[in-house]
Amino acid sequence: MSENTIPVVELSDQSPCGGESVGQWDPNAQDDRSLDSPSRRTFVQNSAAGMSAASLMGTAALVTGSDDADANTTWAEHFQGNYRLMSDEEKAEALDRLEKRYSLEYEKDVTVDGTEAADNVLFGYALNIKKCIGCRRCVKACVQENNQTRGDEQEIEWIRVLKMEKGEFTQEKLKDGYPGEVGIQVGGNAYGAVGVVLEGEHYYEPDKVPEQDSHYMPIACMQCEKPPCVKVCPVRTTYREADGPVVIDYNWCIGCRMCIGACPYWARRFNWGEPKLPKEEMNPDTHYLGNRPRMKGVVEKCTFCIQRTRQGRYPACVEVCPVGARKFGNLLDPNSEVRRVLATKRVFRLKAELNTYPKFFYYVD
Amino acid sequence: MKKLQISAVVLLLLTGAPAAFSQETTECFESRKGASEVTQKEVSPGLPNVKCSPRTGGVLWWGDPYDGTQPMGEMPIEADYSHGEAVVKPRESKLKLMALCGVACHNGVFPPVPKDKNPRALNMHKDVVPDSLNLQHGRGGIWCLDCHHTTTRNKLVDNFGNEISFNQPQKLCGKCHGQIYRGWREGMHGKRIGEWASDGKKRWFVCTECHNPHDVQQGDRNSGFAQLRPERAPILPKGIYNTDHEGHHGSSDHQDDEAAKH
Repeated sequence: MSENTIPVVELSDQSPCGGESVGQWDPNAQDDRSLDSPSRRTFVQNSAAGMSAASLMGTAALVTGSDDADANTTWAEHFQGNYRLMSDEEKAEALDRLEKRYSLEYEKDVTVDGTEAADNVLFGYALNIKKCIGCRRCVKACVQENNQTRGDEQEIEWIRVLKMEKGEFTQEKLKDGYPGEVGIQVGGNAYGAVGVVLEGEHYYEPDKVPEQDSHYMPIACMQCEKPPCVKVCPVRTTYREADGPVVIDYNWCIGCRMCIGACPYWARRFNWGEPKLPKEEMNPDTHYLGNRPRMKGVVEKCTFCIQRTRQGRYPACVEVCPVGARKFGNLLDPNSEVRRVLATKRVFRLKAELNTYPKFFYYVD
Repeated sequence: MKKLQISAVVLLLLTGAPAAFSQETTECFESRKGASEVTQKEVSPGLPNVKCSPRTGGVLWWGDPYDGTQPMGEMPIEADYSHGEAVVKPRESKLKLMALCGVACHNGVFPPVPKDKNPRALNMHKDVVPDSLNLQHGRGGIWCLDCHHTTTRNKLVDNFGNEISFNQPQKLCGKCHGQIYRGWREGMHGKRIGEWASDGKKRWFVCTECHNPHDVQQGDRNSGFAQLRPERAPILPKGIYNTDHEGHHGSSDHQDDEAAKH
């Protein structure tokens, strides 16, 4: 096995960027492989190799035989490279194209940001699981911010809040989970036998929260340092950014949903249908890797509100939490809120045994 | 003279109320319902100050996190938050009777200063303290004038009898809740919005923006935070019509039911 076949994820463990290390995967490079496998993309790469995106736009106008800006931008968008491998000019062109198209489509001034990760920043998140009251305002704030599809047909929410039974070591429950007369028990836990465990409710609808004897567990992307979703992506469109968040280049996503299967935290969502995003509800401040409108057939997920956090602002869910259970900050700054939590509170990471090294920490006072 | 003052107050209250209802505005609450209300408006063209939940009336999104705030001033700061900019939203504008209470009814002469500390039923302010004899704070250990200034009723009071502004309730609450106060100062307890950097500009939420000081025990719940109406549950996946499966994980009875249906 040669060095060329080292997966990106392993490289990214050493260098946070990982981008430079995958030169051999440059889809714009004309090599023998593309001649051997005449797929759609390699065909395009051959014909587009050596051309700038601008000249590609010209080609697009010729091929489509129209001057329609919308049609041509779509054409150019279709043939752009993997975002990580684009040059700065190509990125600027891609952002510009998208801004024009979205502004037309949503009838407002949409900005598509491409701000790169800042030096000496590694985003981390902490959630006080004892404080959470399960009001789901984080869920809805996230939708307001991140332009997810909405409506009765298809609704995407990046955060899910699980309602759970409060555990207690009462006399009656002490024997639950231990084998009775029938032998060895498999599954279950300390408080409940396998058949009767209430694992968590997604769809709870009481008049008021928090309910008696319940606690709540919000789950979103854990922004793993070793993300299983990145390992399985066959087109390497999802990757870990230098400041921590795992992001997706939606344009390069082929919708195979391998990452959804790989994620142990149920953090990724798929656009099964054409996304519905009302013009008046669309958030015009977007980032290429974050909340820009998605298309049908791509995967999406929490990015720690990359469009906000790269501009210095807290993520939307942190701001909205009415009980202040959510903390966010720079893991490399000893004075940040999240570092203080790590230093002074009792902390755990979800499914730590999987060695995914989440940058999302749960804590109690 | 006293009667004149009271009737003036009543007149103000009567005329003030209908004016508030006649305006077509969207009001929503930031953290504590009934005490952190904010009116929706545009801070710049196309950018609202807040986006509200149509279902619960809670603020979901801030267009400008610093709208309506002022510097925290002489914030008692420890550690490195001293080089960050801290702003707060003044509380006094949220208190309905604030403009009047210190000059009209509680002007230091009328009503007279209480002679002893035995709580008595209040004829006024039942909207704020529904059962004044059973104050839901301190479990019988404190009463009104442990927090409210004896003569200057539009101020709170510290341990030495000095006035504390309603805009800085943390100085009052910290008298007893020192541990929480310390956690708040360090940025652990409570809520901040704005910039995530430890030296960034943040709007700090003060105690009474989240907690109701007159009902901080919440009865049997024994929790500082009042119950809220939750946002809507996620829609069910296609082909699933109820949530019966939840709470029955692996239950053999349930599986039999499912099998019988198909």
